[in-house]
Amino acid sequence: MSRGSEVLIDKRLFNLPGMRRYVIILGILVFLQAIAIIVQARYLSIAIVNLWNLMPIGSIILPTSIFTVAFLCRHLLTVWQNRVLFPFVEKTSGDMRESLMAKIFRLGPAEIDKRGTGNIVTMALEGIDQVQTYLMLVIIKMLDMSITPWLILIYILFIRWEQALFLFIIFPVIILFMVILGLAAQSKADRQYEGYQHLSNHFVDTLRGLSTLKQLGLSKRYANNVYSVSESYRTETMSTLRIALTSTFALDFFTTLSIAVVAVFLGFDLLDGKVMLLPALTILVLAPEYFLPIRNFANDYHATLNGKNAMSAVLDVLHQPEMKQRDELPDFKWNQDSMLTLDHVNFTYPETTQPALKNISVTIKGMQKIGIIGASGSGKSTLINLIGGFLSPDKPDQVAIDGHKLPHLDQAAWQKNFLYIPQNPYLFHATLADNISFYVDNASKQSIEDAAQRAGLTEWIKRLPAGLDTMIGEGARTVSGGQAQRIALARAFLDTDRKVLLFDEPTAHLDIETEAALKKDILPVFSDHLVFFATHRLHWIGEMDYVLVMDHGKLVEQGTPAELAQKNGDYVKLRSEMEASDL
Amino acid sequence: MKGLRETFAHDTWVMPYLRKYKGLLILVLFLGFMTFFSGGALMFNSGYLISEAARQPSSIIYIYVPVVLARAFGIARPTFRYIERLTSHNWVLKIVSDFRKKLYQTVERKASAIQRSHQTGDILSILADDIDHIENLYLRTVFPMVIGWLLYLFIVIGVGSLNWVVGLLMLLLLGIIVIVLPLASVATNGVREYRQHQIQHEFYTNLTDEVLGLGDWLISGRYDDFINLQKKPIKQIAQLRKKDHYFQWWRSFFVQFVVLLTTITLLIWAANSFTATKSLANWVAAFALAIFPAVSPFLNMSQGLSEWPVYRRSIERVNQLDRDQPAKVDQNQLEGHFKELKIANVTFKYPDGDRNIVNDISMTIHPGEKVALLGPSGTGKSTFLKLLVGDLIPNDGQILANGKDVSSLQKVRSSLFGILDQQPYLFDTTVMNNVRLGNTNATDDEIKDAIAAVGLKDLIESLPDQYNTEVQETGKRFSGGERQRLSLARILLQDAPIIILDEPTVSLDPITEKKLLDQVFDLLHNKTIIWVTHHLAGIAHVDQVRFLENGHFDMQGTPQELYQQEPRFRQLYDLDRGK
Repeated sequence: MSRGSEVLIDKRLFNLPGMRRYVIILGILVFLQAIAIIVQARYLSIAIVNLWNLMPIGSIILPTSIFTVAFLCRHLLTVWQNRVLFPFVEKTSGDMRESLMAKIFRLGPAEIDKRGTGNIVTMALEGIDQVQTYLMLVIIKMLDMSITPWLILIYILFIRWEQALFLFIIFPVIILFMVILGLAAQSKADRQYEGYQHLSNHFVDTLRGLSTLKQLGLSKRYANNVYSVSESYRTETMSTLRIALTSTFALDFFTTLSIAVVAVFLGFDLLDGKVMLLPALTILVLAPEYFLPIRNFANDYHATLNGKNAMSAVLDVLHQPEMKQRDELPDFKWNQDSMLTLDHVNFTYPETTQPALKNISVTIKGMQKIGIIGASGSGKSTLINLIGGFLSPDKPDQVAIDGHKLPHLDQAAWQKNFLYIPQNPYLFHATLADNISFYVDNASKQSIEDAAQRAGLTEWIKRLPAGLDTMIGEGARTVSGGQAQRIALARAFLDTDRKVLLFDEPTAHLDIETEAALKKDILPVFSDHLVFFATHRLHWIGEMDYVLVMDHGKLVEQGTPAELAQKNGDYVKLRSEMEASDL
Repeated sequence: MKGLRETFAHDTWVMPYLRKYKGLLILVLFLGFMTFFSGGALMFNSGYLISEAARQPSSIIYIYVPVVLARAFGIARPTFRYIERLTSHNWVLKIVSDFRKKLYQTVERKASAIQRSHQTGDILSILADDIDHIENLYLRTVFPMVIGWLLYLFIVIGVGSLNWVVGLLMLLLLGIIVIVLPLASVATNGVREYRQHQIQHEFYTNLTDEVLGLGDWLISGRYDDFINLQKKPIKQIAQLRKKDHYFQWWRSFFVQFVVLLTTITLLIWAANSFTATKSLANWVAAFALAIFPAVSPFLNMSQGLSEWPVYRRSIERVNQLDRDQPAKVDQNQLEGHFKELKIANVTFKYPDGDRNIVNDISMTIHPGEKVALLGPSGTGKSTFLKLLVGDLIPNDGQILANGKDVSSLQKVRSSLFGILDQQPYLFDTTVMNNVRLGNTNATDDEIKDAIAAVGLKDLIESLPDQYNTEVQETGKRFSGGERQRLSLARILLQDAPIIILDEPTVSLDPITEKKLLDQVFDLLHNKTIIWVTHHLAGIAHVDQVRFLENGHFDMQGTPQELYQQEPRFRQLYDLDRGK
């Protein structure tokens, strides 16, 4: 059983706050319930035996009443157990949900991206629900299994030790067979489950690739492929299922047959006069109750397993290390004299060996416009993410602001100073005005309108049904890539406190006309700001004061565009590779 | 019940399959019934056995039959259950195969070859989930319910034939468990389920919104707002769950209470009718012991049925798919080589749209011509392509290939058009199989030649599994540029005369983009190419540029002419070159 319990129980379960106390209270309730079960069986048997002795109906009133009370107690105790446990489970899972939210915030976008937004959201919603079900199931079931059968067994021992011995011996035999047949089969079934996921993915895969199949003229024919894959999966599943179900069959077979055997032996003993009907009947009534907890435990194997895995996954995220020392940097405002230093910075992504940034040294002072260029994979975005504090350098004290050496740039005081504008700025499901004023508390309507005007949104807003109050984002009005950039731009115009702008390929996916129009509106925001602008659209370089050229994670050249053009080095080479010929 | 009739009024997803696999279905129900019957019979028989044995009859012969039966039922119950499980799973999996095919065919009829992103993936996942739901409908609701009802009838008729009054009482008491409570559960749960679905949906969308915008939350430092936003739905969900749990616990208790009433009824009946003779009294224990295993299948019926609202949504959704299927057009063959593609005064408006996306456009494309199509996003470039290949039918005008309407050439479409789009899909199989999709009759050598032509020979041959390398889900084993080139190899094998390039380089960096475009136009130099692009890199490859704006062409000519004559084009071109 130890293997089984390990499979179904995460050890961290017992470290949940308050767990010990609840286990004791529930243990007492389960104990009382086991007594109710015995009383119920005893008095039902008495009533039956009285009738068997052809006694009048009056003789069964008392035993039937006691049976009734015991029966009701037993089931009320079930409700009671649940009611006692539920507040604990509710609080634990509720707390877990909130800690998960807080953790998501602290882990930041880079880490969440790695795990997949869908996974995290599903975890917070369905994962926690599964944890709740798991906690409700597993605690009571475990206690039930470790108390009820043994109490019943002791009682039977007092009535007739031979049957008690038989039931006692058969218990480990059942478990042994379950383990032998079950574990082998179960691991196969688990693999089958993976196979199932695979098939289900194959199906989704096919549906997603449908337009490609249509392009290739294969889509009609593929229907038969879908069917035959599914059918071969069925044959495979059935062959595994035949073995997998033997585990349940073994349990079922032994428990049912044990009851039959008990009945038959009791029959023979009665025949020989070795035992009276009342004790025999009591044992027969109790025999199924003896096996009930283990059957219950085995029945919801998959539900319990899913719950356990869900809980382990949640706990893993909660125990994920996060960036600490977020308040090393005192509050400050970026100004003409501020200075950001990167001193031989290396950065390696977790689970990789090659650093993505190698030995980057650069000093930035005051309000400048810094272009970052390079081929894809050269480390432009990684550098921007490191400056934004979403990634932490391999070693501490390699970055500094105004001479304060810092472990990383995930500093609350630094984050108050910049805005980050990626390729696809995220638009919240909210009004346009709320989206623009996301970074500014209590922005006046007038100031929002001004910012929108400067970002070139006015014409578009006029055409919207509710103007600035129109809902945008997921599930509401869709916004084109160009307008999304303008909304991000309006945020920058509105928030005059943030003097640093981090652009990561803001126009890469826009069509050339939209980009040309957008450029006109972006340029004014550059003045009086420190700008980092990672791009592979070369025309932006003309607007920069200083250029960093990246190649394979290294900073291969830096200087003003004019200096670099004269050098005839990496910058010139990169430009010639990217540039189209004359017409 | 009215809802039930509505759900199944035009149903093509549930009922037809119940009919199709009728034989197996009856077998499943029979086996399920026998499982519980044997369970009850075992205890019934055992009760009789020990009662009879306790009379100490003179010979063992008197209890011989019950002894044999005890063992028989003891073995029969698990065996029936085992077979029942195998049969029901087999049955459901058979249906799933049919479902998948049907779902695929339904979606296929409406799918378009022109697709800008894989967003629809979410909807498709929902549909795949629906199939799972219908699977569960059978395993968790239909089978247990029907088996329960069969058993119910058996008990009522069995007891009723001995004593009709008690039979009637059983009908009423057990009826509460197997009919009244399940229906009450559906009614209660239906309302709650709806509410729960709403709140969960709200929580789900809000949370996704928050997580996707996490960077902004973090930089803005609005930690408290971030946390508070979810407090309300979290609390609401907790409350709903609580109500749900309490309802279930008390319902289970009530079911047990009815079981108790049933047991007491049986005891009283026994006291009145079976105490006349000793041999009759032996049956008391039989009935009393049989009651608990006999009612065990009833205990979960309410829960099974209360899941109905979830299943119902799924059934309605898949049935919804069957509606608005496109009209059928008589199909033709394309005779001879491709000679011209003529677009004659084509106008198109979406049924729910407010303006013409394509407005009276005419142009003729001849073999070997290379046309680039530009325009800001949302101007209808992809609509135009959909019209071109026949996925949409114009409201006005015609699109003719060699004089035949393209909508009548859908069966032979892949021998007319090859398409390379933004994110060509690689299926989760080997490189070889993926490229082979271009022409399923191609030999291995032809496939290798195509891969060599797109310049991937060295890369693929350097991999441990070479051409049998798995591309993994959505082809993520390879980079964006490599995926495009594998798709290009597919198109080379397909060997269609007209190639449509639908922004194939939008997610590539300029160096990769330049290389890919050079390669595409080099390999496809003798094909007709219609190229939708969002900027001007590589525009020198084409002999005609057209700008689509507000449904019509507003600038057109060779790139050289446009550069010299149109200041707007010149400005854009220079910008694109980084000047």
